Amino acid sequence: MGKVKVATDWLAACAGCHMSFLDIDERIVGLLEKIELTATPITDLKHPPEEGVTVGILTGAVNNTTHLEVVKRMRERCKILISLGDCAVFGGIVSMRNFFDLDEALRRAYVETESTVDGQIPCSEELGKPIRVRSVKDVVEVDIHIPGCPPSADTIYYALSELLEGRIPVLTGDNLKYD
Amino acid sequence: MTMVNVKIDGHQIQARAGSTVLEAAKEAGIDIPTLCHHPALANIGACRVCLVEVAKQRALQPACTFPVTEGIEIETESPRAVEARKFVLEMLFSERNHYCMYCEMSGDCELQNLAYRYGMDHWTYPTPYPKMPVDGTRAYFIMDHNRCILCRRCVRACSDLVANHTLGVKARGANTMISADMDVPFGESSCVNCGTCLQVCPTGALIDRKSAYMGREVQVDSVNSTCTFCSVGCGLKVVTRAGRVLRVEGDWDGHNQGVVCVAGRFEPLYDTREPVTEPMMRKNGQLEPVAWDEALDAIARKMKGAKVGAYAAGKALNETLSEFVKVFQGKAGADVHTLESTLADLDLPAGGSLQDLDAADCILVVGADPLANQRVLGYRIKRSLDKGARLLLVADGENELAAFSHRHFAVSDLHEAIRICEGGVAPVVVFGADLKREDARRLATLTGKAKFIALFPAANGFRAKELGLTNGTGADGADVLYLLLEDVVQTEALARRAKKAKFVVAHASRAGAVTEIADVVLPAPMWYEKEGSFVNLEGNKIDVTRVLPVPDGVIPGHEVFNRLAARL
Repeated sequence: MGKVKVATDWLAACAGCHMSFLDIDERIVGLLEKIELTATPITDLKHPPEEGVTVGILTGAVNNTTHLEVVKRMRERCKILISLGDCAVFGGIVSMRNFFDLDEALRRAYVETESTVDGQIPCSEELGKPIRVRSVKDVVEVDIHIPGCPPSADTIYYALSELLEGRIPVLTGDNLKYD
Repeated sequence: MTMVNVKIDGHQIQARAGSTVLEAAKEAGIDIPTLCHHPALANIGACRVCLVEVAKQRALQPACTFPVTEGIEIETESPRAVEARKFVLEMLFSERNHYCMYCEMSGDCELQNLAYRYGMDHWTYPTPYPKMPVDGTRAYFIMDHNRCILCRRCVRACSDLVANHTLGVKARGANTMISADMDVPFGESSCVNCGTCLQVCPTGALIDRKSAYMGREVQVDSVNSTCTFCSVGCGLKVVTRAGRVLRVEGDWDGHNQGVVCVAGRFEPLYDTREPVTEPMMRKNGQLEPVAWDEALDAIARKMKGAKVGAYAAGKALNETLSEFVKVFQGKAGADVHTLESTLADLDLPAGGSLQDLDAADCILVVGADPLANQRVLGYRIKRSLDKGARLLLVADGENELAAFSHRHFAVSDLHEAIRICEGGVAPVVVFGADLKREDARRLATLTGKAKFIALFPAANGFRAKELGLTNGTGADGADVLYLLLEDVVQTEALARRAKKAKFVVAHASRAGAVTEIADVVLPAPMWYEKEGSFVNLEGNKIDVTRVLPVPDGVIPGHEVFNRLAARL
């Protein structure tokens, strides 16, 4: 049997969830004997392969039009989609923005910040347009939710190990945390 | 007591008729999850988290309000009950801001714990992100409406426990908000800052400014002790971490039933007066640190053959107070007094309890302002009024109870109030230091009929009176004046009186006007470093437990007096 193909990507995130993934430490060596990390934001290849992967992992919240594309592409190219971390699962810290108007938030961030001089709200065509922040499951169907800010390395390892055993991981006890 | 047969989750048990499903289950060791329920508060079934399946009932029923009857069969974790419970939790989480990762309560939150218990790994429903206000107008704690689940524990605590009726709710449905008085900011409301609402809040909606983000329940230590800031002597749970007091909570098992007041819960943590940490002696006009031996030698030398006077703060614990009397009165022949009245001149019974107030139908308050000085007792009086008791207030000046009294008499009309009291079934007389001797004699006619609660101005006034101590200025003419002040406020007037003596010793835990003019300053333990007991206004000897170790250089009061006595 070949290795199980896995791809990860991040949206509006602090990278903490990916750090926590790396925090599984030397266990990653054993894991890599069973899985192939095809593409991640922290390796050379950034986009999940067109031929698809078995497991897709998304961290971060959806907060602009580019993220919508990333989420949809990952959903199309993976069999099992995992939302990893509070931002992907609930919207998390990023969704604090939703308690304000988008214009209000952008003005505050790019113009009114105390240290900003002659600030300007970015408006290049090349950039994704900010949208109301939402969790991944509010955009596409998600198969496995792993909350946590970030989820612990043990939780991530547990979830991947369960999948490799052919089971859908059920988070209980210390594996289920929102902070 | 009638018992009924109850079947809960297949267990056949006996439960008290009329008890709730929740109580019966608890007796049987079955844990039904709750959120709006609090053991000290009346159940209102607001949150629906405790829904259980009751045989022959069409709908699920809240365990906290549903009474058990003969033959009742209950399933607490049936698929239907669990599904409903999860639905309730989902709705609660999606309603406002319940993002745990940046919440102060994360780790100690009852809502979060329930979500963990029921394995909530995502939210089914979208969040509307309503922008609710945060009210920071109160000095000691903050209300974040975004974290509020409208369980109304705070509302019930405010009305049922403290009888203050500041909190209520406004608007309807998803717009419902906790509100103060006629919808004013909390800081401008009739709130008395007792903090009972803060203590019962299950989420991060009410946040203590001082201890916020300072440690979770598993990271902090707590010690049960007693408040020494008035003669009620409320039971406390003092929470500490790394040698610091983080916050004070009321002990639910104490006679105060979990309630404390601003003077016990918040003010001591905001005391900014300089602490006295080591013995000091005035040398060339300046106070300079010295060793205990040097300070005590100097005091003993000055005391020999001199006319000695000594005052003690009436909050000193039994051990300290007894030794104080033994050494200064017994050994040094000093004139000893307390700084506050011990009500010794009033020939009246004392020792009535807070429980007596609960059972009272008529309460006569004279010569005292409990809502200003013994607040928890004041709240208890108001609670009794809510249950139908009549309040007869006898006071000439301003009195915080005036707004709640049914009859307000001038002191000259005390006899009128006494006459009404005589007609009561369970009257209680609450008197304080402003009561005149001749009026006390009039009140004495109620002896045997009424319970008497003496509001000693200082925590240990009861014991001070037993020791024969009185206040007064009797010791003012002394050559050597010893002042055991602990942490009482050092007024300019007291400093002026002290100055008349040739040699002044101030034994205090905080610096002030008296330590400023003293010849020797001795450090006294802080309130959270004291250990021993005192007698509260009910006449009960209650223990004060040391919360934090006494720092190097500070010696407990009674030991200081022992060491001094050895030199006399």
